[in-house]
Amino acid sequence: MTPNFAVVGVDTPDFHMPRLWLPVFLLWIPVILLSPVIFLVLVTMAIFTRTTIWRIIAICWGILSGLTGTHVQVNTCDARILVRIL
Amino acid sequence: MNENRRQILEMLAAGKINAAEAERLLAALEDGPVANNGVFAEKAQPKTKSKAKYLRVLVEAADKGGPTTVNVRVPMQLLYAGVRLAALIPPQAHAQLDQALSSHGVPLTLSQIKPENLEELIDHLEDLTVDVDAKQDNTKVRVFCE
Repeated sequence: MTPNFAVVGVDTPDFHMPRLWLPVFLLWIPVILLSPVIFLVLVTMAIFTRTTIWRIIAICWGILSGLTGTHVQVNTCDARILVRIL
Repeated sequence: MNENRRQILEMLAAGKINAAEAERLLAALEDGPVANNGVFAEKAQPKTKSKAKYLRVLVEAADKGGPTTVNVRVPMQLLYAGVRLAALIPPQAHAQLDQALSSHGVPLTLSQIKPENLEELIDHLEDLTVDVDAKQDNTKVRVFCE
């Protein structure tokens, strides 16, 4: 399943940001609009890597789907950073 | 016919047990340990190991200002996808990459690595647990799969 939301939180002494829930699924709109350009990029990649376009699409889809569940949290004495992909 | 099954049926025929008990015993015989010449042995069933879903990296360090913690959770599916991404490296770049890796102390030949080898590597990664405890720096690193 592709990511739907990303949660980003940054908290430093100078800058406090409440946790942002970013609707990642909305990125499908520009992706669909740019699909001809993306297709050309994929074809170029397929030619350079001597593989099929389907394989490249499968790899890209795998990476996109694999991002779901990623969690990165860094806490230092004066800063906190959180990135979660849901 | 299995010796145990025969014994159960004989007991049923002799009236020592009723039909319901015989059924329960036969069901237990199929699920549980199997007798072999009077010695019970574990039935040769592969253990269902729960597949790890995430690679977790935890770092705890005590800096001058205070403690620093890093908590990273990477889905195993992303690792698989990354492995497949390596297949997209053009063949012309393999020699350069091999040279660069060996110059950094990693004598690896990328062209010899097949996707099935890498998938096997990631499968074995599920049993990995690395604990680093540096007492001088008060740093603890844990890498494990969950």
